[in-house]
Amino acid sequence: MGLRLKVVQSVYSVLHKSGRGGSFPGVLGLKMDPHFLEKFQMPKIVVLVTGTNGKTTTSNLIAESLREAGLKTINNRRGDNLNVGIATLLAANSDSHFRVQADAAVIEVDELTVYRQFANLHPTHFVVNNFFRDQLDRAGEMETIIRKIQEVTKDFEGHLILNGDDPNVLRICDTAKKAQIHLFSVGRNSISETVTNEASEGKFCPRCGRPLKYEYYQYSHIGRFLCEADGFGRIEPDVLVTDIDFAHRTFTAGGRIFSSFINTIYAIYNCAAVLTVMKSLGLDPECADRVFRTFVLKEGRNEVFQLSRPSVINLVKNPTGANEVMKYIVSVPGDKNLLILLNDNDQDGHDVSWIWDAHFERLNQPEIKTIVCSGRRAYDMALRLKYEGMEDRIKVIEDAEKAVEWLDEANMPSHVIATYTALHSTRAILRKAEQKWI
Amino acid sequence: MDIKILWMYHDLMDLYGDKGNTEVLRYRSEKRGIQCIVDTCTIGEEKDIRDYDLFFLGGGADREQQLIFDDLLKRKDNIREAMDAKTAFLLICGGYQLFGKYYKDQDGTVIDGLGFFDYYTESSDRDHRCIGNIAVETTMDNETFQAVGFENHGGQTRNVASPFARVLYGHGNTYSDGTEGFMNDQVLATYMHGPLLPKNPRIADAILKRALRKRYGEVALAPLDDTLEDKAREIMLKRLKVKK
Repeated sequence: MGLRLKVVQSVYSVLHKSGRGGSFPGVLGLKMDPHFLEKFQMPKIVVLVTGTNGKTTTSNLIAESLREAGLKTINNRRGDNLNVGIATLLAANSDSHFRVQADAAVIEVDELTVYRQFANLHPTHFVVNNFFRDQLDRAGEMETIIRKIQEVTKDFEGHLILNGDDPNVLRICDTAKKAQIHLFSVGRNSISETVTNEASEGKFCPRCGRPLKYEYYQYSHIGRFLCEADGFGRIEPDVLVTDIDFAHRTFTAGGRIFSSFINTIYAIYNCAAVLTVMKSLGLDPECADRVFRTFVLKEGRNEVFQLSRPSVINLVKNPTGANEVMKYIVSVPGDKNLLILLNDNDQDGHDVSWIWDAHFERLNQPEIKTIVCSGRRAYDMALRLKYEGMEDRIKVIEDAEKAVEWLDEANMPSHVIATYTALHSTRAILRKAEQKWI
Repeated sequence: MDIKILWMYHDLMDLYGDKGNTEVLRYRSEKRGIQCIVDTCTIGEEKDIRDYDLFFLGGGADREQQLIFDDLLKRKDNIREAMDAKTAFLLICGGYQLFGKYYKDQDGTVIDGLGFFDYYTESSDRDHRCIGNIAVETTMDNETFQAVGFENHGGQTRNVASPFARVLYGHGNTYSDGTEGFMNDQVLATYMHGPLLPKNPRIADAILKRALRKRYGEVALAPLDDTLEDKAREIMLKRLKVKK
């Protein structure tokens, strides 16, 4: 048995030394032994992080905070959240007897497959961020995902860290009777709204089916809700964020002021999740704040490339993420061009109809000069914008390299939005284009 | 000239971007100087369907579909009256199924449909949904043309008297019977999401004509620039190897 692990570790080491990452070592391990994952002796602290949006950022923030608190921590920082990625992470960090050499493991897990890996990973902490409509052809309906997660947490006795402002997540409390539940919540602030056109899920009480009443919405269906019939939504959060100052990037929790790395509401939720984990572990929130202050979002999360003028790239995967990225883009003052890369490969989801659920009409404002549509479904994107009345500003350049070239030559600040499979290739193109200017 | 659309259960039956269909209808009417009014109607709301030229019902998740069913049933007579008054119908996925005889779910439970048409739908087992890109050939307004979309349904619809289209790629009404949707003079019912209309402007225009017919008789629609639409469709047809 140890021999197979050794093979996997050697392969990892060779790939690692030659600068290649990826999940191949994990693929190999699971191919040689389907029970590979079950063999590891996990660290004392195992934090699993799942949800539709913000998994990678949240798990990186937690891992960094634990490191800051002096714990030797491993994590799948690039978001390789399927079993092959997790197998790679564990193999790379264990001794020859499958003992993981760390105080803590923070593992981002895919919300669609977490139910398969949950027991094998022996989590002590399970963080659930949010559930949004996402890639329905791959995911099936959201209801199915939630039920599967309820099923695996039914007998979970560890710490369950849940977003108390998402009815789809809060539901888990009702079935996880043995877990120690910790909720996080964000209070009313300057961006909270009493009406919304974004909330497509979470309209009804999961207990009785009656409509939920919202006091306010933060974004999508995240907000303060209540079922007046049975009290679903009445919560006592462990961590409540208040006094958000978006201009100065600060917020208050537990009577202490924290900084945020970016001034968006979803980032505040990520921070709230991190603080709840720290609290449940009895660790100093100061460690988290040091991370919040200096954390740099990477790999396509508000990543800046210095072309002729700065170009900011963001990953989008679903309507909620796209809506938030668009809100951010239009909040940045000044003229700008946009590049949207829409692919429909396996990891993007073959069904691109989600672009019609997202509010692309937000881009219809004079500071956005040209919108270049690119990727395998460039024309679908162009049509989406055409039917919002932006016909005269659309440019279709299917080839991503040529699209970036156009952006660079336009000599105007720009924003790039890319779906999953377009993200890494486009970042590589942007990096190459950047070299010209260094 | 104006066109009145009633978008049923817009807040519940709006899976897979089906609302894009209403945006296309609005755009293509207004480009021709036809005012387009899109009204919505949800559970418990009083609307007389006869007042509208087009009734639009999209698809929903199982749970939403159960929620609307009782309400829809109460409107059955009103829907019948609207049909008699020549209102046109566009029904997608769940909307399509609900207008048939019945729906039999995975546990064998039979849920009666509105029963306007003889087709019926039976659920397939969980692992065999019809999911993916679909290309079809249809004839509307005496013109035969190709259309593309995305299907995602477990239900297998059988006994369809007059299908909407012939399947060129994908599944359609069942895994493999080669037909897609249902169509008569007034009703177009289909499994095609995508949404259906943005990439298929000919279908959009045919629906507009059907809706306008109710109050204005035959109306000729001026051609629009469909370069982007055609390009988006051609790329998919080529990818599916329906077209060289």
